[in-house]
Amino acid sequence: MIFTGKALVVDDEPHVRKYISLILKSLGASSIVEASNGAEGFAAYQSERPDLVLLDVNMPVQDGLETIKLIRAFDPKASVIILTSIATRQTVEEAADLGAINYLRKDTPRDELIGLLTEILSSDTEESA
Amino acid sequence: MPLSAEESDLVDFKGRKILLVDDDRLNLRILHGMLQSEGYVLTDASSAEEALALYDKVKPDLVLLDVLLPGMSGFAACRELHKRHGINTPPVIFITAKQEAEDVLEGFTAGGVDYIMKPFRQKEVVARMSTHLKIRLLSEKQRMLVDQLSRANASKNKFLGMAAHDLRNPLASIRGLAEFMRDGTVGPLTPDQLELLDLIHQASQGMVTLVNDLLDVATIESGELRLNTAPVPLAELVQKSISLNSLESARKRTRIIFSDHKASPVLSLDPARIRQVVDNLLSNAVKYSPPGSTIGVSLCALPDGTHTICVRDQGPGIPEGERDKLFKDFGRLSVQPTGGEKSTGLGLAICRKIVEAHHGTIVAENLPSGGCEFRVTLPAQS
Repeated sequence: MIFTGKALVVDDEPHVRKYISLILKSLGASSIVEASNGAEGFAAYQSERPDLVLLDVNMPVQDGLETIKLIRAFDPKASVIILTSIATRQTVEEAADLGAINYLRKDTPRDELIGLLTEILSSDTEESA
Repeated sequence: MPLSAEESDLVDFKGRKILLVDDDRLNLRILHGMLQSEGYVLTDASSAEEALALYDKVKPDLVLLDVLLPGMSGFAACRELHKRHGINTPPVIFITAKQEAEDVLEGFTAGGVDYIMKPFRQKEVVARMSTHLKIRLLSEKQRMLVDQLSRANASKNKFLGMAAHDLRNPLASIRGLAEFMRDGTVGPLTPDQLELLDLIHQASQGMVTLVNDLLDVATIESGELRLNTAPVPLAELVQKSISLNSLESARKRTRIIFSDHKASPVLSLDPARIRQVVDNLLSNAVKYSPPGSTIGVSLCALPDGTHTICVRDQGPGIPEGERDKLFKDFGRLSVQPTGGEKSTGLGLAICRKIVEAHHGTIVAENLPSGGCEFRVTLPAQS
């Protein structure tokens, strides 16, 4: 099992939330909470205290970058991975500056996505251990 | 030479503005008489200085310019016009007293396109003028059309990019969700359900590929292909691509053999983009290879410092006469994939654009032994 904790998936598209949730489950996630925009995502973070957040960037109401700021201010140790459509360098760099541990492109093939997430999560736990 | 019906549709001489420059009133009167039936709008000037002063007001389509003028000469005036208006300078036809070789030559050097001699012969004057007006108007029209087309092409690319971008995520989700369902992640499936899911999966996979290719074309064509270069061990990159393609290759009972890579150069490349090129060449080789055949991949360092990546297959080769379609957008050839695979016709066009962005070249050649070889040459590193 790569990841057995609780995850929060924030994306305005239901199909993306479902897809990412299934990927997290296949890695062993014990529970998954979903939110459809940044504001809901931040509220869910406060009430659910997940171990990992997968966060879309372009969302209505409150975008991903704004949301990382709030989450990291609330919990400086929060592990946030950004979900992007087209990884523009600028967005990724901005997210990294705000404390995101990495980014994933939503259009990556499933098995590759699972592989990338596995890599990110194993190196992240090594670092924090 | 009279205009054909097609040409007169394109160029209309009526109302075209001609600037006549001559200090001899009589000459001007003769020219007026000869040209009045042509429908031109004529403006007179009696000196080069006056002609230059009138120029911006008249904006002539053609200038008839006497060589010998009081004050500034006709040649000097012509040079001045070219200096001020560059490519937009209208054709200048010189008026000379007699055909003096020196005059004619200096006139052409000064930027004139032709000359007419005094005494004027009406048919000659009219013919020379209409020839140069026609060239002028057609090239103007051509410039305008090219301009329109490139703007239309840019907005097409923008639209294509937006459409493809918005399609990509939902398609990726459909593909991924179908994979989870096919794996039985959400419960067992009957064989019929499984068959439908396989079709959904294949269709979405095909669409993701098409959308990605379209997006690549749009990005590259709009000049937004930015290379993120890094030092890349070439053999390692090729090896990764071979591993990716080995599953599909095994399914089609072909083998990929990687040879000549003992010395792995480290080149400054965009690893993702060059990987895309190698992936494409390999998947094409697999796609068009007959079962049981071998695909050969090799790297060579040439004495001039360039490096080549070669991919050879034992497929049908490139049909004679279709070679020029190979690297063009949507340039599908008549040869068919051996396993019923799909092709968008964009893959090699994208490869060429990526390789060229790296200042390299990509060529394809049929081999005497059958099959063909694709060769990517990457430039020497500075």
